[in-house]
Amino acid sequence: MSANRWLATGNYFTTYREEQRIFFTHIDRLLFAAFLTALFAWPLFIEASSKYMLIFDNILVAVIAVLGLNLVTGFGGLISVGHAAFVGVGAYTVACLAQIIGDQHVLITHAWPLMIVAGGLTGAVFGLIVGLPALRLRHLYLLMATLSFQMIFQWVVGFMDFFNQGQFIYVGRVYWFTGEVGRSVHYNFWYYALLTTVVVLGFGVRNLLRTRYGRSLVAVRDNDRAADAMGMHPGFTKVSAFGLAGFFAGVAGAMQAYLNRGAGFETFTLHESIQYLAMTIVGGLGSLPGTFFGPAAIKMLDLQMENLAEWAGHLLPSSLDLATGLRPLSFGLVIVLFLMFEPRGIANWWRILRSYVKLWPFRY
Amino acid sequence: MKTKKISIGIIVSVVVLMLAMPVSAVAEEYMIGLSLAITGPTSDAGNPYAKGVEDYFRYANDMKLLGKDTIKYEIRDDKYETAITKRNFEEYLDMGMVFYLNYSTGSTLALKRDFEEVKMPTLPASYHAGNIEDSDYVFLPIASYSAQAIGLAEYLVANHDGKTPRVAMYVHPSAFGRGPVEDVKAAVKAGLDMEIVEVVEHGKDLDVTGMLQRWKSKNVQYVISHTVQSPVATLLKGASRMDLVAKSFGEKGKITFMGAHYTGGNDLIALAGKAAENFYWTTSFITTSEDSYAADTQMALAERYGRDDKTANSHNYAAGIIVAEVATEVIQRAKAKGEEINKKTLYQELLAMNGMNAFYSGTAVGPVTYSKDDHQGVDTLQLYSVQNGEFRAVGKPFIPEYTDKIK
Repeated sequence: MSANRWLATGNYFTTYREEQRIFFTHIDRLLFAAFLTALFAWPLFIEASSKYMLIFDNILVAVIAVLGLNLVTGFGGLISVGHAAFVGVGAYTVACLAQIIGDQHVLITHAWPLMIVAGGLTGAVFGLIVGLPALRLRHLYLLMATLSFQMIFQWVVGFMDFFNQGQFIYVGRVYWFTGEVGRSVHYNFWYYALLTTVVVLGFGVRNLLRTRYGRSLVAVRDNDRAADAMGMHPGFTKVSAFGLAGFFAGVAGAMQAYLNRGAGFETFTLHESIQYLAMTIVGGLGSLPGTFFGPAAIKMLDLQMENLAEWAGHLLPSSLDLATGLRPLSFGLVIVLFLMFEPRGIANWWRILRSYVKLWPFRY
Repeated sequence: MKTKKISIGIIVSVVVLMLAMPVSAVAEEYMIGLSLAITGPTSDAGNPYAKGVEDYFRYANDMKLLGKDTIKYEIRDDKYETAITKRNFEEYLDMGMVFYLNYSTGSTLALKRDFEEVKMPTLPASYHAGNIEDSDYVFLPIASYSAQAIGLAEYLVANHDGKTPRVAMYVHPSAFGRGPVEDVKAAVKAGLDMEIVEVVEHGKDLDVTGMLQRWKSKNVQYVISHTVQSPVATLLKGASRMDLVAKSFGEKGKITFMGAHYTGGNDLIALAGKAAENFYWTTSFITTSEDSYAADTQMALAERYGRDDKTANSHNYAAGIIVAEVATEVIQRAKAKGEEINKKTLYQELLAMNGMNAFYSGTAVGPVTYSKDDHQGVDTLQLYSVQNGEFRAVGKPFIPEYTDKIK
C-alpha cells in the first residue's frame, strides 16, 4: 500500500496489521465520517413525518437484529431461524419488568439504557442455551433446533398469563436530559438512540472480526475440523456466536419495545424470523455492509408492496383475494432471484461500485 | 372631501362584512382514517368492512349530508399487522384526522395509549371487551364478544329442557378468543344455570372427530363458539358427518351449535354448506336475508356503488356502514350546534349519544348509545339460525342480563 494513505490507489499491504485496518485510506475514513454526520444531521434540516421516522426507526431496529444474525449465520455459518424469538426475549424482558414494577417506574422510564442492556443480556443467555445444540448439530438439524425455540417462544408468550397471553404489555415513555420524551419527539429521539446503538454495535462487530475470536468464527464456518486442528475451539466459538447473536437481538427487541411503547406477541413470529433471514441473505451473508443494506432493502420493498397490494385490493374482486398474495410473492421472488443471480447480496454491488470508483478512470 | 369619506366608508363596510362572513360558508373537509386488513389474514372480513365504510362516506358526500362540507376518508391496508396500523395511524394524525376507525384486537390494544394521548375518538371492528378497559377514547360499535357469548348462554339456559345444560366452549387461541370465556364463567358463578364441561382452543385441524367423540362421551349438549368462520365450518362439517347436529334447538342426544359475531354470516354458509343448518348465531346487525327496511337500505347502498352480491350481503359490510354512520352523525350533530369540528367536539358528541340523543343506525338491531360510562354502542343482540341456507331471526332482539350482573 502506498505510504501516503491519501493517495493510495491499490492494495500493497506489507503487514497483517495493515490488512486488518477498518479504513484502508484516509478518503475512506473521511467519506464514512461525512456519511455518519449526514445520518445524524438530516433530521435537523429535513422535517420527516412520524410515519417515515417510524419506518427509519424500524429499519434501524432490524439492522441491530441482523447484525447479530449475520454474526451467527453469515460469519459463523450456523443457521438460525428463530431470530425473532430472540428479539422477542429482549422486548419481553423490558415489557415484563414494566408489568411487574409498573410501566412508569423510574427503572423503566429513566434507566432505559440499562434496560436495553438487560434486554441484550437476557437475549444472550437464551442465545447461549439455544446455541448448545450447535455443539452436536449442523445444517438442517441445527435449523430444526432453532425453529423449535421459535415455536416454544410463541407458545409460551401466547398462552401464559405472565406474558398477558400475547396481548400488548405497555412500556412507559422514557426521560432524557430535557425531560419526558413526548409524542412529538418520540420517533426522532429513538432515531438517534437507535442510530447511536447501530454505530457502536457496528464498530463492535467490525473490531470483533479483527480479533482472534472473529478469525476463529470465520475459520469454523469454513471448516470446523480444520479450525480445531489449528488450535481453535469450535464448540466455544459456535455457542458464543449464538450468545452474541442473542445479545444483539435482545438489544434490538428492547429498543423496539421502547419504540412501540410495549410488546405484543405478533411482532416476534416465525414470519419475522424469516424476514430477518431474508434481510441477511439479500444484504449479503458474512458481510458487514450487507447488514445495513439488507434491512433497508427488505423494509422498503415491503413498503412498496404494501402500497401495491392495497391498490390492487381495491380493484381486484375480494372473493379471489389475489392482492393478499402479492406481498409474499414479491418477497419470495426477491429471495429466489438473489440466490440465483447475486448470492453475495447487495453488499457485492457495493463492493463492485467501490472498486469502480477507486479505479476510475481505469477499467481495472 | 365628501366623496373621500364615502369611499372610506365603503371600504370599511366591505372589510367588516368580509370579517363577519360566517366561517361555514367555506366548504371544509374532515379527515377520517381507517386502517384495516384489506389483504392478508382476516381480509375476508376486512375487505367488505372497508367497502361498507367507503360506500357510506361516499354516500354522505354525494347526498351532501354535511352540506357543503365533505368527509375526506383515508382507508389503508394494514394486513392485520400492528406495526403497519401504527404507521397508518401516525400518518393520519399528520393529515389532521378528527376521527379514527381501527380494526383488529391486537392493534387496538397496542395503540390504546396513543388514542388516549392524542385524545382521538376511535371505533374498532374488534368487539373485545378489553379494548374499552381503562380507555376513554375507544368505543365499541356493538355489544362486546363477552356480551354476545353471555347472550347465547342465557338463551340456551332459558330454552333448555331438562337438567342443567352441559356446554362446551370452542374459542380462538388468542386473547380475542379467551376473553369471553372468563366472563361466561363469571355469569355461571353469578347464577346462570349451566355447566361448562370443556373449553377448547382450536388449532388448524381439518378433522375434529376426536374432539366431537369426546364431547359426545361427556354428554355435551351445546357448543358456544367464539372464533372466526373457518374453524366453525370445520366443526359443523365434522358434526354433520357424525350426525351430531341438533335439527331443532336443544334436541336430545344431539349438539346445538351456537356462535358469536365473527363465527356466522354468509361466509359460514359458504364454507360449511348444508352442515351450517340450525347453527345459532348472534350479532347486533340486521341480516339481508330477512325482509326489512334496513336490509333494503344496505342493498341499495351496495347497488349504488356497484358492489357484488357477496359484499352487499355481508354482515361485515353492515359493520363498516355503522362505524361510518356514527362518525358522520357526530359531525352532523357538532355542526348543528355550530361547533368547530375537531376530535374534541366529536368525542363530546359521542359521549352525549344516549337517551333522547341515541343514534338509530340503518344496519343494527338497536340504537347506538354511548356515555362516559358506556362505551358499548348497540347493546341489543339478535339471535339467528340457519334455515334452508339462510340466516333467519329467532325471537326478538334482546339485551343480555348477566353482562351487568358480572360487572
